[in-house]
Amino acid sequence: MKTYAPLLVGALGLIVLPPLLLSLGLTLTSATDVVIFAMATLGLNLLVGYTGLVSFGHGAWFGMGAYAAALFQRHLLPDSIVLPTVLGVLSVTAIAVVVGFLILRRRGVYFSLLTLALTAMLYAVAFRWTEVTGGENGLGGVVRPEVLGIDLADPWAYLVAVSIVGFLTLAFLWRVVRSPVGTVMVAIRENEQRAQFQGYPTNHYKLLAFTLSTAVTALAGALFVFHHRFASADPLAIPFSGELLAMVIIGGMRNFLGPALGALFYILFREFLSIATPNWLFYFGILFVGFIVFSPRGLVGLAERLLAPFRRHVVEAAAMAGRKIEAMPLPAFLQPRSRVDGPVIACKGMSKSFGGIHAVAALDLEVRDKAIHALIGPNGAGKTTAFNLISGMFPPDEGEVRLMGEPVGGLPPHAITRQGLARSFQITNLYKGLSIEENIRLGLQASHDARFSFWRDARAIGEIEQQAAELIRFLGLAGIEKARAEELSYGGQRLVDMGMALATQPRVLLLDEPLAGLAAAERERISNLVLTISRSIPVLIVEHDIDRVLNFAATVTVMNQGSLLVSGPPAVIREDRRVQEVYIGSGIAAIQERPRISAAQGEAILELDKVNTFYGKSHILDDVSLEVRRNEIVALLGRNGAGKSTLLKSLIGVAPPRTGTIRLDGGDIAGMPAAGIARLGIGYVPQGRGLFAGMSVRDNLHLGGLRRRTGHGVRWEEERIFEFFPRIRERLDTPADYLSGGEQQMVAVARALSGDVKVLLLDEPFEGLAPAVIEELFEAFDLLRREVAIVIVEHNLDLVLALAERAYVLERGRVVHEGPARPLLEDLELRRQVLWL
Amino acid sequence: MPLELVFLLEQVVNGLLVAAYYLLIALGLSLIFSLGGIVNLAHGAFYAIGAYSAVVIGNRFGFAASFVCAPLLVAAIGMVVERFLFRRFYRADPVLTLLLTFGLAMIAEQSLRMIFGAAPIPFSMPEWLSGVVFVGDFIYPRYRLGMLGVAAAAVLATWLLINKTSFGKIVRAGVQNPDMVGVLGISLAPVMTVMVAIGVGLAGLAGVMLAPITGVHPAMGNEIMVAAFVVVVIGGLGSFWGVVLAAILVGVVRGVTVYYVPPAAEASMYLLMFLVLLVRPRGLLGERIEKFE
Repeated sequence: MKTYAPLLVGALGLIVLPPLLLSLGLTLTSATDVVIFAMATLGLNLLVGYTGLVSFGHGAWFGMGAYAAALFQRHLLPDSIVLPTVLGVLSVTAIAVVVGFLILRRRGVYFSLLTLALTAMLYAVAFRWTEVTGGENGLGGVVRPEVLGIDLADPWAYLVAVSIVGFLTLAFLWRVVRSPVGTVMVAIRENEQRAQFQGYPTNHYKLLAFTLSTAVTALAGALFVFHHRFASADPLAIPFSGELLAMVIIGGMRNFLGPALGALFYILFREFLSIATPNWLFYFGILFVGFIVFSPRGLVGLAERLLAPFRRHVVEAAAMAGRKIEAMPLPAFLQPRSRVDGPVIACKGMSKSFGGIHAVAALDLEVRDKAIHALIGPNGAGKTTAFNLISGMFPPDEGEVRLMGEPVGGLPPHAITRQGLARSFQITNLYKGLSIEENIRLGLQASHDARFSFWRDARAIGEIEQQAAELIRFLGLAGIEKARAEELSYGGQRLVDMGMALATQPRVLLLDEPLAGLAAAERERISNLVLTISRSIPVLIVEHDIDRVLNFAATVTVMNQGSLLVSGPPAVIREDRRVQEVYIGSGIAAIQERPRISAAQGEAILELDKVNTFYGKSHILDDVSLEVRRNEIVALLGRNGAGKSTLLKSLIGVAPPRTGTIRLDGGDIAGMPAAGIARLGIGYVPQGRGLFAGMSVRDNLHLGGLRRRTGHGVRWEEERIFEFFPRIRERLDTPADYLSGGEQQMVAVARALSGDVKVLLLDEPFEGLAPAVIEELFEAFDLLRREVAIVIVEHNLDLVLALAERAYVLERGRVVHEGPARPLLEDLELRRQVLWL
Repeated sequence: MPLELVFLLEQVVNGLLVAAYYLLIALGLSLIFSLGGIVNLAHGAFYAIGAYSAVVIGNRFGFAASFVCAPLLVAAIGMVVERFLFRRFYRADPVLTLLLTFGLAMIAEQSLRMIFGAAPIPFSMPEWLSGVVFVGDFIYPRYRLGMLGVAAAAVLATWLLINKTSFGKIVRAGVQNPDMVGVLGISLAPVMTVMVAIGVGLAGLAGVMLAPITGVHPAMGNEIMVAAFVVVVIGGLGSFWGVVLAAILVGVVRGVTVYYVPPAAEASMYLLMFLVLLVRPRGLLGERIEKFE
């Protein structure tokens, strides 16, 4: 029944409309206008509401449809109405295919501006091209002839005819939005990138949506020209396009019939207000802005909000309490049918640089069938980039990628996915507004024959429905499949992310940190799932939980600074000195030889108490408490994703904590805006330095001190800074991005100090630097401790432990160890205990 | 000089004039866009408000007064709009800001209609600025040359502001990395307010200067706005010199087409835009900005 509800409502609306408007004192002309505008806006909404492409110039298609129909009738087919309409719509549609092909290459704002410019151009052309369009005078002499013995010149007859066409259009569009193509359109709106990685060539779908949308709007335009028996350039003018869009917004773009409601509202508003005032558009504009600001989902959204308290809302969400978890084997349809003898994935010499930095350098990698292959390495080792190259996010600069022997390097993501590779994402990447079921179903549909159908009912393809149900059961999400993805807990979202990849029925699965940010029970469950999957489908996994990885992987590849460090079975990797060095250092840096003299005083300058920080639903810092004393250097240690950088961001206010207190010299700064915290004397050097490119060193320093001469802490004038970083003096007029990495880091620290500063936060200050420069920076920091307190995050443990007085070790957002740095520096066994496996 | 060449030269100078006022409007548009991410479709409305205020102020206190006061008035209105509307949308979907500012443009145009009527209002330039200038065979209205000078000065001033002052440093840094600017203790909110004021103030200035030439009518903002967008899109969103280059290009191409193929004058700039976008999808000097893709 629900399947046909909008059609019933639409039919009822069409029947009720004429008597309603007549009883309100309006004419049949208005009723016909409502139906025509409703058609045009339904067409527009296919693009705006469903596909998420906001066309600012849909009047162009309405206007061209009108001109085309009028011209065909005047010049070729006098006394005919059906053929001119059909030919008009067809010719406009042909133009739309070409135009769509060109302007759909751009997305977002660019697309909107291009559509706007297109209609402005057509208006200019139509207005001037008098021989064809009649220019300012328009084209008269359009007639409504007899069709099948019915005289369409009669307003009632024409209204009925338009209503019938309108209803057929409605039925057509309803089929489209419920078809596989319709579901992909929504997927593109929600997350175009993910749709590509599920195997959909999204450009084809967008062009299809654009073409259908313009065809329907052109049909409305043709009906409009016969309605008023006159064609003019008015629909091509920008205000008309804006009004069409306003109807869609005011009605409600996320509802199938919303735009039609908007059209009715527009006509009623116009007819009634234009009696009272010639400036009805003024009030319409105010209403429009009001909707944008207060209810971007329009009247339908407003109604939903008003009715919400009376409706039972299915929040199956956060707790995920309703789900049934059972241990199941991998569903049969996911079992691969082919046998692969050689490697499933084989990369040879795969390389990629970004702006001169070798993110991945000549990587060789072979993934074998039916096992877990882990890819590990410290921050910036190039693991995710390797994933991106294999899955087609970027083409590799050099080298080859083979999938079951076939070269796939440089192919677009959807093509690689279609050849049997699927991936999940490090940062959860879902169709947030869709249900779990839809998220999974879209993956299954991508490999089904009906994926390009705009006629079949997507929900009536039994095979997909059944497979979706099975997969959801396998993932342990049964019972909550109707919940929207964004309502799920973080763990639930990670599961859906994996399920979306699995749903494409891959021959090999790439998982990017599937366990990151999960609680213990969830980690256990998901790793069991991965194990089950890997018995049939090989899994290449990036994961920072090394203990777990070494326990369940058959092969481990370790990357460091873009290159392969070593590859082998876990037992070998566990004992490999080089691997341990990469993670916990060798304990033999020359720099540590000379003992460093602490300047720390007893009094705390910075105190954190039970700080909890979240990114969306992901719980990053979990009850972190720590303190920093005056002139003390404190090191924050821990693996990737442990929450070290987030802790610094919470301190400076970029990632404000949700609960807990942060005291700076006794005053609570938790939750203050970053600028306010910085003015209280905290300097922050982010990972990657964050220098302003194209601006000179002097300007960068100047910006640092501009608003921070506040009396909070030590005053840092330029001369004073040069004492610590003499090299900067000669570089003052050089653009910051032209400096070497070491000099950039010095400028970043100098900038963070400029002004009045008493606490300095450093995020990976030694990353990517040559040993000599590291030493120079190290000595500078050693001197700085007499001036300020320093909190430092650094993965080179030999260095940071030699520098710091005390260290905190974080694991999954919790402090798991705190104490003096020296024992950790000297006793490698202790270090291994605390920081290795 | 052969007559033909003089005519052509005149069209080129005319084109430069058009370029100058496109530039005043497009520059403000581009500034607001690059710092706040607001695609301001209401920018043309501020231009129209500038022109109407010039008429009101000019009729009572003279042209010089309107030349100074009208842009300031427009800037003040801009500050109010920024404070109460734009500020809510900096982190929103940019498409939503398109819709918002489109609605604002609609309201502004209708307000002008309500207050001043739909008919165009003539606005004559002061005596002391009328007349022509002779340079050899070349004859040109004095007012237009003056306008060109003022526009050039305004563009230069904007460039100096952005490149040579502390305020400009904050703006440039904020365009690149707003979070980092905050971390250095600098609040961007007041900077944004001032930037919007300057941006729409420039549009207001263009309105004042154009009023004596084109007359004043409610839809004037709408017409110029699309042209200004074409300039910004051709130049590249967020690029100062891109916008300058594109304004000159569009102005001159338009000036020359008006002379040779008058009916195609309007369409020429759109054609130019589509050509540029086919070759350089982000405009002549535009850079990739993730948020707007």
